[in-house]
This record gives sequence, structure tokens and C-alpha cells, in this order.
Amino acid sequence: MADEFIKGLGILTVAGLFWMVLAGWYRTPSFGSTEQLVAPLTVDTGSATLLNLVAITLMDVFFWLAILGPLTFWVLVPAGRQARKAIDEARSN
Amino acid sequence: MSHEDTTTENQGEPVADGAGIVAPDDETPTWRERKERHVGLARLTYEYFERARREDQDLRTESDYVERDVLAFPTWPHETVRNLSIAAFFVGMMIFLSAALPPHIGDPANPSSTPAIILPDWYLYWSFGLLKLNPLNPELAVLGGQKIMADRTYGVLANVVVVSIIAIVPFLNKGAARRPVEQPFWAAVGVFGVVFAFTISLLSVKNLLPMNVDLLFDLTFLLPVVTGVITYAVLKTMREGYVYDLNRRYYRLRPPK
Repeated sequence: MADEFIKGLGILTVAGLFWMVLAGWYRTPSFGSTEQLVAPLTVDTGSATLLNLVAITLMDVFFWLAILGPLTFWVLVPAGRQARKAIDEARSN
Repeated sequence: MSHEDTTTENQGEPVADGAGIVAPDDETPTWRERKERHVGLARLTYEYFERARREDQDLRTESDYVERDVLAFPTWPHETVRNLSIAAFFVGMMIFLSAALPPHIGDPANPSSTPAIILPDWYLYWSFGLLKLNPLNPELAVLGGQKIMADRTYGVLANVVVVSIIAIVPFLNKGAARRPVEQPFWAAVGVFGVVFAFTISLLSVKNLLPMNVDLLFDLTFLLPVVTGVITYAVLKTMREGYVYDLNRRYYRLRPPK
């Protein structure tokens, strides 16, 4: 379904964009290094300010949203519909 | 003259332009009416393009209309509005990223020392990768195991060969196909080229990649062939069935030779 596709794509791009920005702040020691966006946290969570803690949490939220959102709309929802249709057909026969 | 009279008069003429789908001009809602209906962007888009199609249809019925081979929407407003929205999106994205990402202004370059890693701009990686084909430079037995040319000469020659092949392709295939499924072989050639451009670019940064260099070198040449073969097989399989026949009928229109 086209609707499900654009929902998944929208979540993937928007969440991925914000994850990229936050990871550029908190998981990129240097833009000249070979490990960007996925390096260990550059801020110590023990002594971080509230703003940094919120941003770090949001970074993980966006990361998993970018993975689970498209998975839901491209795989789980269509699979659920197929399963429901198959069950209904099996019952009616 | 009422609407019924018009349709009765037109009945004798061959009408193949889809008239009847869109409302006649006096029934077409104004923009205000459309907004007040709150029917959403999808409906609005539909009506907008139906209106454009209707204008095109009216043009066709005019006496001085010249049939053309290429159908298109007019530059203003259709293409302009679309291009402005696309340009606004990308400008907005650049402003957002430059404002949101942490600033990175590195130290000034030291002109007296060569950096440890030297690379061209990313879009020239493929050419840089072709300079690293040393293992392919044959050692000839007749020369006593010597190479016929230096590795760097060989790399430059590889660039000449690849660029020549790319330059020859448009003369071998004129690009008449509208979709890959119409010419599976040339689609496979295209996929081979795209994937090879990617893998040869990866080969150019082999000292930065966390993988076996020999394996990377083999994959550089095997992966494009594999993907090309898969493309050919898949497209060949798609050349049958109801949808393919349907599409073949719809895509009859060809640009002028």
C-alpha cells in the first residue's frame, strides 16, 4: 500500500535526520576521523547537564524510531493484513 | 445550447482524449470552493491535473493545433511551482544542517607537509581506484617475468580504457527503452557500471576499509558481474505476464527519433 510506504519512508527520513544531527554532536569526536556518528559518547553521562542527557536520550529514541518505524509499516502491518485476510478466507471456506 | 446537445453533436467524431472524466468548464469549482470543501491535498492535486488535462484537451480541439510527439505540462505554472518547491526543500535542508550540526573548522593546512592520507574528492574515487590495479598488471614470461609497463602507467591506461568504454556505450544503444524491462541486457550493463563505479571507489580507499584487501580486490570485480547477472535474470523473468503486457500497451508513445 502506498500509504504505508510513505509513512515508513517519512519516519525513516525524519528520525534519521534528527539522529544524524544529534549523533554529530554526541558521537562524533572529529569530522576528520574514520569513526563518525557511531563512536562512543563524547560526553560523560555522569556529569552531563540535563540538556545533554535529554539530547542523548532523544538520539537513541530517534535511532530506534528510524529502524522500528519502517519495519512496522513496511513489514509488520502488511504481514498482519495478509494474515488477517488468510484467516478470514480460511474461516469462510 | 444545452450540455446534452453538445455531447450528441460530438458523437459522430472520433473522441479518444478521455473527455467526460472532468466536469465541463461551467461546473469546474473555483479555488475558493475547493478550499472550502476541505477535501485534502490528494483531491486537490487530482483536480488540478484533471484541469490541466482538460486545458490540453481544449487546445487539441482548436483548429490551429499541431500534433506533437512529446506531451508535457507548461513551464508556468506547473514546472516552475514544482521546481521552486524542490529548490526550497534542499535550501531549507542545507540551512537546517549548517545551523544544527556542530561547526567544524579544522586547523589550516600545512603546505610543507604531505598528509598521511591523500584522496581526491569523493566523485573522483573511481578514477583513483583505477590507479590501484597493480595486481592486474601482467608479468610476462617472454620478458622474463618483467612487467611490460610500470604500475602507474598501467593505472592511467585503465582510466583511458574505462572512459573509452563509457564513451562508446551511447553509440551502441540509443536509449529507446523507457523502462529497464524493455531491454534487460542494457539494463544489466547499466547496473554493472553503477555497481562497478561504487566498488572501484571503495577500492580506492582500501587502506581505510576494515576488511581484507585481497577479498576487497576480488569483490571489486566480482560484485558488479554478479549484480549484472541478477538484474538480467530478474528483468527477463519480468518480461511476461499480465502487467507487462498492460505496460507495453500504455508505453507505446516514443520520443521522436
